[in-house]
Amino acid sequence: MQPKGARREDVLHVLDQKGGLRPGVVDKVHRETGVPAADIYGVATFYHLLSDPDGGVRVCQGLSCKMAGCDRLMADLRSRDTKATYVSCLGRCDLAPALWDPDGEAVIPQPGLTASHDAMAIDLLGAERPAYGALAAVMERGSDWMVEELERSAITGRGGAGFPAHIKWKGVRSQAEMERYVVLNADEGEPGTFKDREILLRRPHLVIEGLAIAAFTLAANDIYVYVRGEFGRARESMETALAAARRRGDLDHLDGLRWHFVDGHGAYICGEETALLEALEGKRGMPRMKPPFPVEKGFRGKPTLIQNVETIACLPAIVDRGGDWFRSIGRREAGSKLYCISGHVRRPGVYEGPLGWTLRELLEAAGGMVGSLKAFSPGGASSGFLPASKIDVPLDFKSLQKEGSMLGSSGVVVLNQSADMVEAALSQAVFFEDESCGQCAPCRIGTQVLRQTLERYLTSRDVGVLAHLEPVMWGMGEASICGLGQAAHFPLQSAMQYFPEEFGVAAPP
Amino acid sequence: MSQNNGHASQSSDGFIVVDGNELSFREGETVLQAAQRAGIEIPTLCYDERLTPAGACRMCLVEVEGSRLMQPSCAYKASPGLVVRTQTPRVERNRQFILSLHLADNVQDRDEAEDNNPSRLHALAEDYGTLGAWPRVERQRQERPEDTNPFIEFRADRCIACSLCTRYCDQVEAVSAITLAGRGAHTTISTADRLSLTDTTCELCGGCIDVCPTGAMTEKQALAYGKPERELEKVRTTCNFCGVGCQLDLNVDRQANRVVKVTSPPPGTTVNDGNLCVKGRFANDFVHHEERLTDPLIRGEDGQLHPATWDEALDRVVQGLQGVAERHGDDALAFISSSRCTGEENYLFQKMARAAFRTQNVHQCAAT
Amino acid sequence: MTNSIPEIRDADFLFVTGSNTTEAHPIIAMEMKRAVGRGAKLAVADPRAIWLTEIADWHMQLKPGSDVWLLNAMAHVILEEGLESRDWIEANTENFDSVVETVKRYPPEEAEKVTGVPAETIRQVARAYATTPKAGIYYTLGITEHTTGTDNVYALSNLVLMTGHLGVRSAGMNPLRGQNNVQGANDAGATPVFYPGYQRAEDPAVRDKFSRAWGVEQNPNPGLNLNDMMKAMGDGRLRGLYLMGEDIVISEPNVERVEEALNHMEFVVVQDIFFNESCRWADVVLPAACFAEKDGVFTNSDRRVQRVRKGVEPPGQARADWQILAEVMRRSGLEQPDYQDPGEVYAELASLAPKFGGISYQRLDTEGGLQWPVETPDAPSTEFLHKGGVLRGKGLFQAVEYRPPFESADPEYPLVLSTGRTLYHYNAATQTRRSEGLSQKQPESFVEIHPGNAFKMGVEDGQLVDVVSRRGRVRCRAMVSRQVRRGSIWMPFHFPESKTNYLTTDAGDAVTGTGEYKVCAARIEPVLEDAPRQVFPGSYASARS
Ligand SMILES: Cc1cc2nc3c(=O)[nH]c(=O)nc-3n(C[C@H](O)[C@H](O)[C@H](O)COP(=O)(O)O)c2cc1C
Ligand code: SF4
Ligand code: SF4
Ligand code: SF4
Ligand code: FES
Repeated sequence: MQPKGARREDVLHVLDQKGGLRPGVVDKVHRETGVPAADIYGVATFYHLLSDPDGGVRVCQGLSCKMAGCDRLMADLRSRDTKATYVSCLGRCDLAPALWDPDGEAVIPQPGLTASHDAMAIDLLGAERPAYGALAAVMERGSDWMVEELERSAITGRGGAGFPAHIKWKGVRSQAEMERYVVLNADEGEPGTFKDREILLRRPHLVIEGLAIAAFTLAANDIYVYVRGEFGRARESMETALAAARRRGDLDHLDGLRWHFVDGHGAYICGEETALLEALEGKRGMPRMKPPFPVEKGFRGKPTLIQNVETIACLPAIVDRGGDWFRSIGRREAGSKLYCISGHVRRPGVYEGPLGWTLRELLEAAGGMVGSLKAFSPGGASSGFLPASKIDVPLDFKSLQKEGSMLGSSGVVVLNQSADMVEAALSQAVFFEDESCGQCAPCRIGTQVLRQTLERYLTSRDVGVLAHLEPVMWGMGEASICGLGQAAHFPLQSAMQYFPEEFGVAAPP
Repeated sequence: MSQNNGHASQSSDGFIVVDGNELSFREGETVLQAAQRAGIEIPTLCYDERLTPAGACRMCLVEVEGSRLMQPSCAYKASPGLVVRTQTPRVERNRQFILSLHLADNVQDRDEAEDNNPSRLHALAEDYGTLGAWPRVERQRQERPEDTNPFIEFRADRCIACSLCTRYCDQVEAVSAITLAGRGAHTTISTADRLSLTDTTCELCGGCIDVCPTGAMTEKQALAYGKPERELEKVRTTCNFCGVGCQLDLNVDRQANRVVKVTSPPPGTTVNDGNLCVKGRFANDFVHHEERLTDPLIRGEDGQLHPATWDEALDRVVQGLQGVAERHGDDALAFISSSRCTGEENYLFQKMARAAFRTQNVHQCAAT
Repeated sequence: MTNSIPEIRDADFLFVTGSNTTEAHPIIAMEMKRAVGRGAKLAVADPRAIWLTEIADWHMQLKPGSDVWLLNAMAHVILEEGLESRDWIEANTENFDSVVETVKRYPPEEAEKVTGVPAETIRQVARAYATTPKAGIYYTLGITEHTTGTDNVYALSNLVLMTGHLGVRSAGMNPLRGQNNVQGANDAGATPVFYPGYQRAEDPAVRDKFSRAWGVEQNPNPGLNLNDMMKAMGDGRLRGLYLMGEDIVISEPNVERVEEALNHMEFVVVQDIFFNESCRWADVVLPAACFAEKDGVFTNSDRRVQRVRKGVEPPGQARADWQILAEVMRRSGLEQPDYQDPGEVYAELASLAPKFGGISYQRLDTEGGLQWPVETPDAPSTEFLHKGGVLRGKGLFQAVEYRPPFESADPEYPLVLSTGRTLYHYNAATQTRRSEGLSQKQPESFVEIHPGNAFKMGVEDGQLVDVVSRRGRVRCRAMVSRQVRRGSIWMPFHFPESKTNYLTTDAGDAVTGTGEYKVCAARIEPVLEDAPRQVFPGSYASARS
């Protein structure tokens, strides 16, 4: 039980300030915040940036980095006596094999980008839009108008679930409770995905304006911006932009609005919206059970809108140019979309196109394959693998779902003929095992079963070791609490489905 | 047992349909609670009526109409008209899946698992069956061997990370001495900085042992004694320390005439609602202590106390008291009893004072 | 307790005073924590910052012994703001006006000066208490172990009566009994003022009834209470003593006088499970069975009669107390039934005490426990008292005036010592200290002292010190902790080798005779030739250094 006056929400921040989980720190944080010491320890051991403050250089072992030779990089670092630790994903798949030194200079990625054009909603290379005209327009036309326009735009969430945004906005507005929150999910962590990073770095004003529009429409007084811990510069970019907007008076009519910037501390699962709320509340980032959904009981148990960076960044364009315009850019589904691409591709990067682009079109924008296409993962680790034959499937929510895959965060990873699908599946299995929050049995134990079974298979090539996988994968999908556990078996399942020979061939005698 | 545990009279706030039966429920109740009241059995591993549900073990999933995924009945709120199924092939397969998975990550053999406390996990596996024995998962949970507390042992190989112990410690005992620590496969139970429980806020209530469904949290001393709980006889009695009157079960080894340990009756059945404090649960070494008085003693001519027979001692008591009364009057005697003795004994004691020795000078030690 | 333990979890306001509930009644504290977890407001009035203050909305850290001032001031606020329950008072009480007059003289601003509790806090708590329907008061020895113990209780009950928080679920006036069967011992008549079932010993009709029942003419002389007994031992009025399960050398205040008095006894019987300190004066020592070795009933704080059941055989020749007593009576020549088991004794008790008339072993075994009154075999258990109006007649208001404690701090003894319980030990710790584990957790006695005082006296945490009062000197380790107020010190009374009762006064409450264990003047002297050693790491108190 928390003592009266304990400052639970500050725990992560204070832990970070005091250098993470080092001897004596738990007690210091306990004395400073009043939170029980065990709770602090439990929280600190959950987030890897806090639990391993002396981990040194972080080397990414996500799929793209694995294929680009992260193991060689690690060996190299270690041979030079540099302290280095593997992490699941650094959100720098465009720089594969990526590394990050928490204490060093920020590396500024230079991904391939679409040339500036104003036919799309975000336009990463576009010029800054001061004046916040869309915000002014919304304030003039009123919040009912805004929600209608949002519905007209038919925009769906860009964070992965593709849920229609207007339903959530209406959900928050229908609550009797007037203490409401808007939370920006900038914890982008899905392997293969780095689009939000680029938006925050290049178009922070779109995000600030979008958030202000959301807060105004929902009558929220507090905005929480939760930025992935490994994205230090992205947060600075946002803070600088906010300060500039304030200086210019762009936000003058919203004086009551409070902005809070919160750092993530190294846990992929905190991208899941309810885990993110737990992190904001200073707890272990374990997803909540839904219902109740955040629109009803979110941050501090109050109605909360949580939205992905890209979703929010589309708002100014939707207001400026109208919902109908936005809807019309997409092919079968509404809007434009930022696609990330990495792996065996010439120009890894973020490319904006109509929602419903095919892989063929995306590859064209990114300069084509290195080698020939064998398989691809269309939407982050959770989307599994598709074979080259699916190159013309529209990369949108419904079409991919029909293929048993998903658009997810549209972090596309392409694999060429050199790829071993067992190893690719193992790489994803390692990711999910490392990043499982561990609260529910199907995911916590299931991800271990998958990884350990694949390892056993890789060494023995004995098909027999795969025998019990079917019920395990079934149960993980059926019984896990959140999307991580529910999708963690997709890479393996899809690899087995489309590349059976790689799993069926027994080792030669 | 029809003890009153403070539950208000049962009014209904609507009906849900479970396996075709209409069940009434009260506002705020979960599907599991409504089903349990109606005698429908849903297996659980991480549920305790005193705690907020964690929904972690996934044993209690049921199908809920209108929901693509199965839902945890321990946390899913009942609402009017909700249609629930608890016996479909999907639900049943899930139960077997969960049990198989847990067993792959646990001590498999039931006898070995139940070396002290009974294991709900293994009992359910016998009742509901599994999907076959799966290869063992290599355990990654840390133990805490440096914890030298005298009472409670945590055995990570048996832990299913259900968080019953930590929720108990946080919500019922409210001292938050233990926590889920680590993440994912490493998730384990720890104190702050892995200290000994005795160096933390832990109050040694032992509630974490009682709620643990697998015996991962266990009594050190009983473990050392070496007889599993199922071979002991439970004797329900009342605690002899403070005035709460907790009901407790003496776990007795009849052959050895020994109280091996104390456990709490299940929540919801007695005044203590499944809880005990450190004294009730652990302070029972005194029962078999070597310093117990075993013989009547009489002070001899030499001024020393010497062992005597009951006959000698009792006669001496009567003579001694009657002698004082004869010399100084009945009211020169005083009788002081103890609130530690039973009601009957206090009754007899005051009767002895008032009837056998005819004085009103009788009182018990504490006025509280 | 007027109400039941399981009702506490549903209370909306809890006023806990003079009760370190988490240590003395951990299970009741769990119910309180549960209520707070649900959103109930909690006010704690205690000189120490006990654990419950961690989760309390208000902590009224009053000076020891100033309870009447505080409680009267709360009543003052309630009346001043018109928050009392007029209709209820009208229908259910008497003598209200006397209290109205008295508490007028106790305004919160003055109370602040005497008690040290801010006037605004007093106002807030009084308001919250008066205006919350499910508001319960919980207290223990911190209220009663004073020379003004009875006054304190009256002042509390005035609050209950003026707000009508009686006869309501999760409300009421709830003394938490310190020992397993204090209630049961009183119920059974082990008190000079009552025969079993609270039938007054001064009433000739009652004495007649028992004369007939037992076949012996009852002595009309009023009996002595415990406190008086101690004095009567000293002045020669008492010459013979029978102690059952009680070690007066440890438990009674002013040990030196008790020891002196025991020297004058002509005949002493001690009946116990261990060789206790009082055995040194015994002429006969009788070995008894402990709770795990016998059958019977205990009655807890909420009047719940529950079974004690035999699990194991007693060691050696030891016998259950009831068997011993029956045998002593038989040998003394008293004619009485040949009891086969305690169930028959209970039946005799129930037949003579209407309050328990409906209670039998058979019912206890099937129903688990019964809260008295249960007058007939088909009457239900009584969850809370005074339902639908004060039981039998009217609740009597009793105006009380503040009287200072028997001793207060002075230049020679500048600190105020209170004594009490810890979680890990029980009374004289004859049982708990025989648990290795508990001795490891809390091995030795200590005195809590505020860092401000410790610093001035040059006392370090864990240092050996002498605690000195007008009556004696006791050695233990210092625990520097903000749990105590500046100017106050606190010691547990469990440790025979540093008997706090060498220090405490034997001044007792005029009505109950209960000793003033909560206030005596003392000073601390550091003992220099010893290296400090932290006594109780990980405890709540030491975490507050
Ligand atoms: C395991 C998991 C990880 C997620 N990671 C992210 C993430 O990094 N960023 C994000 O915006 N949404 C992520 N989501 C989706 C969020 O839960 C949520 O749906 C989203 O933030 C809602 O915003 P949107 O509707 O604008 O997409 C994740 C979901 C799951 C299940
Ligand atoms: S599915 Fe995995 S990540 Fe999600 S709640 Fe369960 S254990 Fe945590
Ligand atoms: S014994 Fe009690 S206080 Fe200690 S860890 Fe277990 S539940 Fe918490
Ligand atoms: S120790 Fe027991 S109660 Fe605690 S999490 Fe593990 S299995 Fe659950
Ligand atoms: S009992 Fe419901 S999830 Fe464990």
